[in-house]
Amino acid sequence: MKILVTVKEVAEAEDDFEIDGLDIDERYLEYDLNEWDDYAVEEAVTIAEDGDDVEVVSVTIGPERAEETVRMALAKGVDRAIRVWDDDLESADMLDVGTKADILAAVVEEEDPDLVFSGVQANDDGFGATGVALAEVVDMEWGAVVNDLDLDAEGGVAHVHRELEGGVEELTDIELPAVLTIQTGINEPRYASLRGIRQAQRKPLDVQGLGDLGLDASVLESAVSRTAMFEPESESDVTVFEGGAEEEAGQLADLLRDKGVVEG
Amino acid sequence: MLDYVGLEADLDAEERMIRDTARDFVDETVRPDVGEHWIEGTFPTDLIEKMGDLGFYAPNLEGYGLPGVSETAYGLLMQELEACDSGLRSMASVQGALVMYPIHAFGSEEQKEEWLPKLGTGEAVGCFGLTEPEHGSDPSSMTTHAESEDDGYVLNGAKTWITNSPIADVAVVWARDRSADDSPVRGFLVETDRDGVSTNKIDEKLSLRASITGEIGLNDVYVPEENVLPEVSGMKGPLSCLTQARYGIAWGAIGAARDCFETARQYATDREQFGGPIARFQLQQQKLAEMATQITTSQLLAHRLADLKERGEMTPQHVSMAKRNNVRMARDQSRIAREMLGGNGITADYSPMRHMANLETVYTYEGTHDIHTLVLGQDLTGFAAFEQ
Repeated sequence: MKILVTVKEVAEAEDDFEIDGLDIDERYLEYDLNEWDDYAVEEAVTIAEDGDDVEVVSVTIGPERAEETVRMALAKGVDRAIRVWDDDLESADMLDVGTKADILAAVVEEEDPDLVFSGVQANDDGFGATGVALAEVVDMEWGAVVNDLDLDAEGGVAHVHRELEGGVEELTDIELPAVLTIQTGINEPRYASLRGIRQAQRKPLDVQGLGDLGLDASVLESAVSRTAMFEPESESDVTVFEGGAEEEAGQLADLLRDKGVVEG
Repeated sequence: MLDYVGLEADLDAEERMIRDTARDFVDETVRPDVGEHWIEGTFPTDLIEKMGDLGFYAPNLEGYGLPGVSETAYGLLMQELEACDSGLRSMASVQGALVMYPIHAFGSEEQKEEWLPKLGTGEAVGCFGLTEPEHGSDPSSMTTHAESEDDGYVLNGAKTWITNSPIADVAVVWARDRSADDSPVRGFLVETDRDGVSTNKIDEKLSLRASITGEIGLNDVYVPEENVLPEVSGMKGPLSCLTQARYGIAWGAIGAARDCFETARQYATDREQFGGPIARFQLQQQKLAEMATQITTSQLLAHRLADLKERGEMTPQHVSMAKRNNVRMARDQSRIAREMLGGNGITADYSPMRHMANLETVYTYEGTHDIHTLVLGQDLTGFAAFEQ
């Protein structure tokens, strides 16, 4: 069995930052593995540990800097990784969901996995659509916002819980091969051990360009473009309650009554 | 954390990942409760196996399931642990440098195979018995002794100020072998469940409270011959362990100082008096400038020490200089950080006073500050001031 996990290195802005053109000024950004992808990696690695002959491959689209993030996934137990990047990708203004889905689809075709795990969303641009769009392109079954997974590898079925709006959960069976987008809280992601970190430096990390995947620069054409970047004005008022827990609870109760949230 | 001259920019990918993993682990699983443990005088024992799973014990050694990371990576790990609390770093130092190191360096193959894997994972806890109630800075005059008997030895004596002795499964006990000529100091692996072993806990410490400390009493304790560390005889045994542990302390102290610095800097920029943040006042800026400079020069020493250790050129005197300088620096700067926090600084809500109290222990353990001064004095002049 093979599981492909899509991971992304995301930018995190400091609390105070400046905007530079259409982006946050690079000086205020730090890069890290996308939180949702951390759960996706954990889910795949756990399945590999519990099962026989499960290979976990992770794929990212990103510059050389992203290798550190990918190595962290390798340190946590992913067997090998693919990083897709070349000059065309480097010069693209932005990569929209369609572009990413097409690139990842080419990797899926090459790897032929039984399962693809993708984080529900990325905590920088937050499109929240790449996983599902990928399923559409490669014509696989899919389940979005999965917060519980019971895999029946032999039967080729994933029994999943999906988080819907309003606190409702859907319990459903999805036939493999499938793309599942993984929600935070599905597991408890591990820390990489020092031994894992050492081993990760020696695991294969293959860099592929668009050409290697049978694609060309036309995949970067997009109907979406970024037009502006601004910090929204804060319009809400803040009320700070002070006192012991009981007093604070009383003040909150008064406020909720005033606003008509609760009666009485 | 402060890295003013960008020393960490030169780390390799593996070292950066180790630093980041240690930092995340400490931030998420230890830091939230460490003040509470300190006040209660308890060590979070559930961390022992967690840190073992991550490979935090003796990661710079090779074989027996140990990862064999660089000396710089090991130093960075100690720094991140002590940035949280000196007690946390002490746990890792004792287990790794004082218990696993001597078994690795001087043990028999059977001893290595029995102990290193389970000490490495934290399944077993070790402690190191050198200091005695009447013999601290002068350990070679120890009175704990062994007499040969029935293909083994009978041990008698008392050790004190032993980190983790009350929870240890095994103690590395240094004792004089009176059955041999000149009564050389030998190392004995003493399982703490042997008849005649007691491990009383020392309570009511005013420093290093989030760390378990005790005594080791040895009352006619029999150990078989195979429990003796075969490859070392004389003070070189315990002293070489201490060189390893002090190397970690030289790094760790910087972590405590950096945590104090960052806390003070944040406080100074947030705290408003006289119509604005106190960081705009020159007196506060002078303190931060001095603190940053002291931390940076100590960092330079630690990074250089790592390079020397990596290439096998580090001497015990180098380590004395770094331990002496860096712990003094951290001790002094933690007090300045506490002062900048005013009244808030005396609560456990902020780390500096906890670090400050801890560093009193670090200042005089593993060779007091004064003894390291004399070690350097001897190295520089050829005269040993501590010999009669």
